[in-house]
Amino acid sequence: MNPTSRPSAALRSALVIVLALVWFIPTYLIVVNAFTSNTGYTGEVAWFPKDFDLLENIALAWQAVNLGPSLLNSLLYAVVAGALAVLVAAFAGFAVSAIPGGRRTFWFWLIYSGALFPAQAFLRPLFTGYADTGLYDTRWGLFLIYVATCVPFSFFIMRNHMLSIPPEINEAAQLDGANWWRVFIHFFLPLSKPALAAAFIFQFVWVWNELLFGITLSYSEQIRPVMAALAGLQSNYGTVGPPVVLAGALFVSLPTVLVFLLFQRAFASSLGGAKV
Amino acid sequence: MTASHETRAIATGRRDASDASMPTGGRGTRARSRLLFLLPAVLLVGVLSLAPFVWTVGRSLFDDAVIDPQFNWFASYARLVSDPVIIKSLGNTVMWLVGTVIIPVGLGLAIAALTSSVSWGRWARLAIVLPYALSGTAVAVVWNFMLQDSGALNSLLRGLGLDALAHPWLLEWPGNTIVLILANSWQASGVAVILYLVGLQGVPRETVEAAALDGVDGLKRFFHIVLPQLRGTTAVVMGISLANGLKSFDLIWVLTNGGPGRATETLAVSMYWQSFVLQRPGSGAAIAVVLTIVVVAISVAYLRKQLKND
Repeated sequence: MNPTSRPSAALRSALVIVLALVWFIPTYLIVVNAFTSNTGYTGEVAWFPKDFDLLENIALAWQAVNLGPSLLNSLLYAVVAGALAVLVAAFAGFAVSAIPGGRRTFWFWLIYSGALFPAQAFLRPLFTGYADTGLYDTRWGLFLIYVATCVPFSFFIMRNHMLSIPPEINEAAQLDGANWWRVFIHFFLPLSKPALAAAFIFQFVWVWNELLFGITLSYSEQIRPVMAALAGLQSNYGTVGPPVVLAGALFVSLPTVLVFLLFQRAFASSLGGAKV
Repeated sequence: MTASHETRAIATGRRDASDASMPTGGRGTRARSRLLFLLPAVLLVGVLSLAPFVWTVGRSLFDDAVIDPQFNWFASYARLVSDPVIIKSLGNTVMWLVGTVIIPVGLGLAIAALTSSVSWGRWARLAIVLPYALSGTAVAVVWNFMLQDSGALNSLLRGLGLDALAHPWLLEWPGNTIVLILANSWQASGVAVILYLVGLQGVPRETVEAAALDGVDGLKRFFHIVLPQLRGTTAVVMGISLANGLKSFDLIWVLTNGGPGRATETLAVSMYWQSFVLQRPGSGAAIAVVLTIVVVAISVAYLRKQLKND
């Protein structure tokens, strides 16, 4: 042991504790105040737990912005659109990594470029286009844009994964007379399960948390996704009361927090764009 | 990393060699099935992202009239730099970029390094990474509760007898933009921590141990031995953080609506204001194009690094 490393180890621990506390305080206060009785809320922040009214507060939030349909909508958008996007991305990933042919770089950037653009790049034409075609404020409209925006990054993950599948598998299947469709269904798709799962988890969280398309391409309570409903709740902060808004925010965040806690490794690998 | 390069090279080589002897059809059917596999993705991205983007670029060359707009070259872009609201928005965007490099990237590195050196670091890390799973909207709810007049931060300051420091955090510029950047960092640092942890695991133990034996220790060891090995990771973390910071809309929109008096806007929010609130599609499109160019340039820079590495 180096003589200088003892005080520096203590300093390191102290730093870690301070940082973790600073990060944790907002979370702690949100939870404590979401439990606080809404009628008893004095306008003063509660620093210590005193009531146990979380469920009542969630119920009030649910009523205030009609959470029911928006939760179901977001479930549809995040699960079905997310899964469909990952499948479409797997097709394309297979085409550029397993089927021989030219212009790989061209196809890669054509599809992947969609992941680089900010939503603002195509928001206004999308809005006017949706208005003209009757897709505005429909579930189909939001479903379509969520599939389209999830494809590029899923494609990136699937392509990277499929490049790591040994080409011998592909060649052996071909020699047995399997066509590309069968090679994909019987070999590449089953071999890509971890990457498919990682991409799906990532897109599920992305769609669930999405707001901008939600508020631009829909307005009615029956169609809008859950974060648009939460934004509506927040804009009524004064009338519904802080504990209700906080409880609502906690409640709608639960799915993504749980998914994140359960699948941290999948997140780490998709973020790095690394092979899964 | 290089191993996969080799397999890829071998793979393509073999494929080319066996092209002629492939039993399933000739080049024609293969090209056709390849296109069929590509078609759904290309259609979706083409129709719902690329085509609208091309339209946005075209629209930015027309004026702000909603009905029957006139072609006027780059006048919309010229108007951006003469509109005080947009100039402020550009300034805020630069503040966001600087703040993003310092906090999510710098602090992310510090947190990853510090927590990987203590045994209970896992738990500390969880507190820091968890907000990353929240939506921008939920983060806005959290920080509205912390920062508003009767919020938690002022309550804490008054409780500590520091009444002089308590003030409406979201009302005065540039303080409000700074607290927005901090609120964003609360959420965004998690990504940097995750990526740096992966990077740190890739630093060879032997190098660090050899340096320790040579008597290089503490901060010096970190900056001279470990950090240079993390150059690739830093490029990726910086690229992802900067691109996300520039795209950040939900937090600002829900927390301040870009206000008060449009003082906390960044380009991402200004585009929404011009296009949808004020119905000025010309300047909205021009902002969208400028924002896109910056975001894509940053992303391509780090992606080239990332793609080269794997």
